[in-house]
Amino acid sequence: MIRQPIPTWLFLTLAASGLILAIFAYGGLSARLTEENPSQSVLPGVKGFLEGVEKVTKARGSESRPKPSWISRDIRTTYWRLFSGLVLGAFVSILVGIAMGAYTAVEAFLSPVITFMAKIPPTAMLAIYMVVFGTKYEMYVALIGFGIFFTMVQSIYQSVKKDVAEDHIDKAYTLGASEFEVILEVIWRQILPRVIDNIRLHIGPAMVFLIAAEMLFAAEGFGYTIRQQSRLANMNVVYIYLAILGVTGLLMDYALMQLRRWLCPWFGD
Amino acid sequence: MADKTNNPFRAELGGEQVDSSSETALEVDNLSHWFDDFRVLNQVNLTIAPGQIVALVGPSGCGKSTLLKAILGTQPANEGNVLVDGKAIRAPSRDVGIVFQHYSLFDFLTAEANVAFGLKLDQTSTPFRTFMYPKWRELRKHHLQQAREFLEKVKLGAACGKYPNELSGGMRQRVAIAQALILKPKLVLLDEPFGALDEATRESLQMMLLGFYQENLKAKSEGRTPEYTILIVTHELNEAIYVADRVIGLSRFHEDAEQGAMVVYDRPCPVYHPDDPKDLADFVEQREELRKAVFDPEYIKHHSKYVSFWKELET
Repeated sequence: MIRQPIPTWLFLTLAASGLILAIFAYGGLSARLTEENPSQSVLPGVKGFLEGVEKVTKARGSESRPKPSWISRDIRTTYWRLFSGLVLGAFVSILVGIAMGAYTAVEAFLSPVITFMAKIPPTAMLAIYMVVFGTKYEMYVALIGFGIFFTMVQSIYQSVKKDVAEDHIDKAYTLGASEFEVILEVIWRQILPRVIDNIRLHIGPAMVFLIAAEMLFAAEGFGYTIRQQSRLANMNVVYIYLAILGVTGLLMDYALMQLRRWLCPWFGD
Repeated sequence: MADKTNNPFRAELGGEQVDSSSETALEVDNLSHWFDDFRVLNQVNLTIAPGQIVALVGPSGCGKSTLLKAILGTQPANEGNVLVDGKAIRAPSRDVGIVFQHYSLFDFLTAEANVAFGLKLDQTSTPFRTFMYPKWRELRKHHLQQAREFLEKVKLGAACGKYPNELSGGMRQRVAIAQALILKPKLVLLDEPFGALDEATRESLQMMLLGFYQENLKAKSEGRTPEYTILIVTHELNEAIYVADRVIGLSRFHEDAEQGAMVVYDRPCPVYHPDDPKDLADFVEQREELRKAVFDPEYIKHHSKYVSFWKELET
């Protein structure tokens, strides 16, 4: 039956089964390929993964000039770029989105430009960011910030228009609110869960832009290491990096979902 | 039994015409409004004294909402003035409260926070709440206490901590009414407030309004200004007669229909006590009069004989 609820034990069993099945499928394929070619590295087995873990966690450099392991260097670099770009992009999107939703003049002024810019794939703009910001930290932040800005601002602006009823605004005025209070106490609070959901949904695209840019221009970071190691057919390292990307993505998603539940208990799931 | 002869404002006014702004909660003066070539309201005049509960009825599309928006200040009329407590209304303000048909509670606030929201906005500012946080917290406790007391009054004490989506339609409407009344605005507009409710809930809310009216009477008898002045828009004629002490009919069915809707009916209603049995037979005469004067397109006559509320008080 469509949308028929199932007991929790069945839900958890099915979820665990899916995961176990994927691991078994991988194990079976890996064993078969290894049987055909013992030196294959396309689908490494447990031993290959252990080698990969050692490789990525091993401290680099010399005793006199130690360098961090690949994984700690790349995690720090990539996630700092991601965090900076997301925060900047989301912050400006929220300000502009609310202004567009609240003031018709701002909407009229910005709407055509934003609609046009939202249609250009952010990775196609990489050349411009490279020329303007060089190939350092600022370029990645700009890529992510601008990359998510145009779509996020449209979502927030639509949310202000659709989720905040005219009646709510009128009522706030009748309760003594100033214009600033209507924005802060009514509009902002009403759209907050949508804003958090928007940030959640934009983590994926932001990661795509960042990894693509790191593959092309970076000297460190997840994209750089994945590209280098895949060229050397070190898929054990590549899979470890992909797993870290997946797990951190899930954790960020979960953390934002919990944040939304905590800040907006009225919104439900 | 209902007091059908003595409208409580008769004694108070002593037959004098209320023309001083300090004695009127609402004064609508020659209000006209039109959209392009279509005239909606024509020379609407209306005076409401503090403490009155007035029902506004009229056929669909006659301009009730336009009049309400003009009084609320969200859509000022093209011509004429709206004065609330002597002050001209050109934008929404805390002097005029509103309760919409679809509740319009703030989803992100609990019932008590919704009711306390007006106190917060009216009595404090964003800088105060930000930079004087300890003081604000103290005041906040007081506001929530006031809100809880008001919710008790509208029989919703048990629902204080619930969000609007956890409340039934009737409960939401009680919260919305408490939210509008707690600020003690000069006038509260109820825009078809019970239209979406079932009969039993509707009746309990009607009795709540009658309770407010009794409080107004008590305030008058003690020489205080009544707290609840209400203009309720409804399409239910029985409800209009039951909850209000005066019914106003707005309609285009008059001699000058091309110019827009006018007040074609303005007469007192019997005053009911919340404990009085509601006998629909009592309403028949006035309901038929209203139907003829306000809703009957064939009755195109001069309606001055039905616009007689203040004259009837004088006599």
